[in-house]
Amino acid sequence: MAWIRRMRSLFRKEDLESDLEEELRFHLSMRERRNVEQGMSNVEARRSARLRFGNPIVWRERMREIDLMLFPQTIVQDLRFGGRVLLRNAGFTAMAAFALAVGIGLNTAAFTAYEAFFERKLDAHDPRTMVNLALIEHTGATASILSYPDYETYRDHVRSFSGVIAASLPQYLTISVPGGVVQQHNEGGGSLIGKLLLPQIGNSETAMTMVVSDNYFSVLGIAASLGRTFGPGDKAELAASPSVLISENYWQKRFKGDSAILGKVVRLNGAAFTIIGVAPHNFVGTFVAAPDFWLPMSLEPLVHPGNNWIWARENGCCHLFARLAPGAGMREAQAEMSLVADHLRSLHPPGSDLAQPVSAIVWPGSPFPVPIEQMRELRICILFVMAAVGMVLVVACANVASLQLARAASRQNELSMRLSLGASRPRLIRQLLTESALLGLIAGVLAFLCSWVFLQAAVVLIANAFPDQYGTFIFHVTPDLKIFSFVFLISVFAGVLFGLAPALESSRSAVASALKANAATAPLRSRRLRNFLIATQVAVSAVLVIAGSTLIHSAIRALWMETGYDDAHVIDLSLQFPESAEYTPDHKDALIRDLRTRVAALPGVMDVTTARAPDDGEFRSAAVSLNSEAPSSQNMKAYLYYTWIQPNYFQALGIPLLLGHGFTAQGDQAEPSIVVSESTANKLWPGQNPVGRTLRLGTDGLFHSTGEPLPDGPVWRVIGVARDTRGVLLDGSDSAQIYLPLSDRYLQNYPILVRTRSNPAQLISALGEVMASVDPNLAGRFSTLKEMLRGTEPFLASTLAAAIATTTGVLGLLLAAIGIYGTVSYIVVLRTREVGIRVALGAKKRDILTLILSESTRPVLAGLSAGVVLACGVAYSLRHVLYGIHTIDGISFGGVSLLFVAVALLAALIPSQRALRVEPTAALRYE
Amino acid sequence: MVRTKSDKLQGALDLLILKALEEGPMHGWGITLHIERVSDEVLRVEEGSLYPALHRMEQDRWISAEWGRSENNRRARFYRLTSLGRKQLAAEREQWRKVTGAIALVLEFGKAAV
Repeated sequence: MAWIRRMRSLFRKEDLESDLEEELRFHLSMRERRNVEQGMSNVEARRSARLRFGNPIVWRERMREIDLMLFPQTIVQDLRFGGRVLLRNAGFTAMAAFALAVGIGLNTAAFTAYEAFFERKLDAHDPRTMVNLALIEHTGATASILSYPDYETYRDHVRSFSGVIAASLPQYLTISVPGGVVQQHNEGGGSLIGKLLLPQIGNSETAMTMVVSDNYFSVLGIAASLGRTFGPGDKAELAASPSVLISENYWQKRFKGDSAILGKVVRLNGAAFTIIGVAPHNFVGTFVAAPDFWLPMSLEPLVHPGNNWIWARENGCCHLFARLAPGAGMREAQAEMSLVADHLRSLHPPGSDLAQPVSAIVWPGSPFPVPIEQMRELRICILFVMAAVGMVLVVACANVASLQLARAASRQNELSMRLSLGASRPRLIRQLLTESALLGLIAGVLAFLCSWVFLQAAVVLIANAFPDQYGTFIFHVTPDLKIFSFVFLISVFAGVLFGLAPALESSRSAVASALKANAATAPLRSRRLRNFLIATQVAVSAVLVIAGSTLIHSAIRALWMETGYDDAHVIDLSLQFPESAEYTPDHKDALIRDLRTRVAALPGVMDVTTARAPDDGEFRSAAVSLNSEAPSSQNMKAYLYYTWIQPNYFQALGIPLLLGHGFTAQGDQAEPSIVVSESTANKLWPGQNPVGRTLRLGTDGLFHSTGEPLPDGPVWRVIGVARDTRGVLLDGSDSAQIYLPLSDRYLQNYPILVRTRSNPAQLISALGEVMASVDPNLAGRFSTLKEMLRGTEPFLASTLAAAIATTTGVLGLLLAAIGIYGTVSYIVVLRTREVGIRVALGAKKRDILTLILSESTRPVLAGLSAGVVLACGVAYSLRHVLYGIHTIDGISFGGVSLLFVAVALLAALIPSQRALRVEPTAALRYE
Repeated sequence: MVRTKSDKLQGALDLLILKALEEGPMHGWGITLHIERVSDEVLRVEEGSLYPALHRMEQDRWISAEWGRSENNRRARFYRLTSLGRKQLAAEREQWRKVTGAIALVLEFGKAAV
């Protein structure tokens, strides 16, 4: 075969060379002799022969070409040359590699994180056969929490499952270890959320426990790393000797790896349990974090004495998971489960909620209780993040492409020279491609590092935000090779493609104009392409940066807007009574009063009141009617939020009363009275004096827990109007509040709010001591109202959004700025000669400057306008996340536009000035 | 891609070389002389194209080469046609006939119209 011979001749290169030499020498001397015979002089003969012969170097190259089309040898040569070229243009190489690395790295990190988080499997043996179970109600909502008796039915009657397990939501049980109390360390205390849930100070610690079905570990296929797990047959044994499993993480953290851990007795919520085994390190089971203990479901009543709710069919208890039987598919399992579900609902009284039609849903096992498909908002968020990240990649590629193009123009001369020295066009193209590929390779390595760094940063951030009390959040991410190679290939392909176009372009025009210095007049096609690339970069990054800065602006406003109450000086103390029989309502009542008295006596405390904090996230709303009848769908005026307060609430929180007055100190108004906020008054009686007006409330069908005081019934009379407070809702609809007087009977159901004179943090330890002195078994959670505000969902959402927005925005901006500056200034440099000509022909400096500036900023302006239009659309779709600012945020739009124009002008201005300073004659001579 | 003049000649060059070798084995110089002489000095072979062409044809196994002694007893490389080369020659001749025939037709057509 021809190529084999070529390969062979490749390796016999030296022989070939010398053979060729000899052959050529022979030919030359024969020609010489002929010339002499024809009458030339010796000298002339030789010269003529040599001339005729042409340049042997050229066609020795050609011959080598023929041999070397496939070659390892020239690849090496190409790579070495490519490497030298890249090194010489270190600036360009650095910019292009950086751009590609950032784009690829960010995308890889984002997609890897997504996959690791959302495609996370259950921590089990052979997780692919594990599935999640839930029901879809007739309303379309997903019910993922099912009752225990239902679980038992599914477990026993659905053949498609080889095993069904149940796991409760994490519970916080007080733990005490006989033989001394160890102060619980709180590593999560440094984070924002950690402060929010600072553990109680006092003698109680809590342990995060998951209550699981007896067959949990056997179905998951996990064995204990020490001791043993509890299993399906152990019910009697467990009843006789209650046991728990401890997680290895908790064992190390809390018990310092005590070797005598097996058989140790701990008291959870007062009940004694023996530790019979240690779960493997970092085992999370069906959750995302490793709990401290696993408790068998049959022993659950021990930790909630007097509470047999778990066995009732109406009570939701746990999430269900199952392992598919060999050969069974999800669809048939789902059908079978639906049948059983159908039967189960007939066991409920007809007409009740639980008797409504349901259908089962079975989906691949995941720690998330609801399939992602059902979580619409989350998916939209994810979409946005992915889009943002993708846009950074687009900007990066456009960046590299325009840099390549700019550089290609400058290489015309070099290429022409090489052609004239004997290189063939295919050879040139191959060499340019190798160079691009080499650049891509460098970028790829950097990108891998980048993605690794991004992921580590993300993991650390998330781990820090996840408070210790929730267990140890287990989240492993390394850059996924599959994703990385995909993104890498795309980018290298794009990079090579953009390297190829100019390569073809420049080699073609180099051939055509072998020695002319045509660098000044780039072919029209490449100029248009260049402008298009600049415009694209500007447009895409404009969208990124505008959207990003809008989100950041909104987050800033959210953090610093006036709340309308003194959030900096009020502490929220939420109590948790131990679950033992001695805590009767009367006992609790006495404890609370005692606590309040003692707290009020502390130095630095200005007020003590009991009520829900304005921003604790728990809302109660009621239907309002104004015609003294009970609210119904016909006479209802509005749904408004209400809250129960004591008379000193407004004083404690620093909310002024604008009209009328508050509740009297004794709390004994002649008739049922309420205070409303400004917005409520405006809504119900616009333009009128609300004091003296009446309304009625109805809570039918609205959410409330059992045992809560309800405002239904009385005709409430407005006695005062309070100033609005800003709530947690983004649209401010929870500013309309109705304040109702709290009866003393319910003091134990609500948190205590403490107004302090100075910095509240100083008071927290004092409060803890007071609590311990009242009852050492009390547990409580403290936080200032300010911190609570920061922990609310819209806050967190906008902060997270801002964090992502900052990353993508900054990167996008950086890349775009580099790209614009590099390209625009490059183009201007290329026009130096043209500038010289114009000056020589008499043009004024100012005219030239205007010309160059206007022409080079035109693509930037085009891109910018496109970007602004797109950004408007993006901002509109983000409007629900924006907090307190207009959808079209003037600062973001205006600021970013100005920034881009400034960069473009600067990029054009500086080299123009330099070009103008050059002597016209020198510019003309410039080749 | 526009074929330049050198490309066209290259196609003809192969043909000329193959034909020259039909007479018998020759070295590069001999081929040059042969073509020049037979064409009455009309066709001058670019030495720059000759040796690369020979090399290529050798790779493609249309010709084979071996060292020998020239007329003046100098060491030279002699080329000869292979059977594959003979087939190639026939094919190229046919191709050439077709092309030139077609060109002649086109030229004739113009004249007829006048």
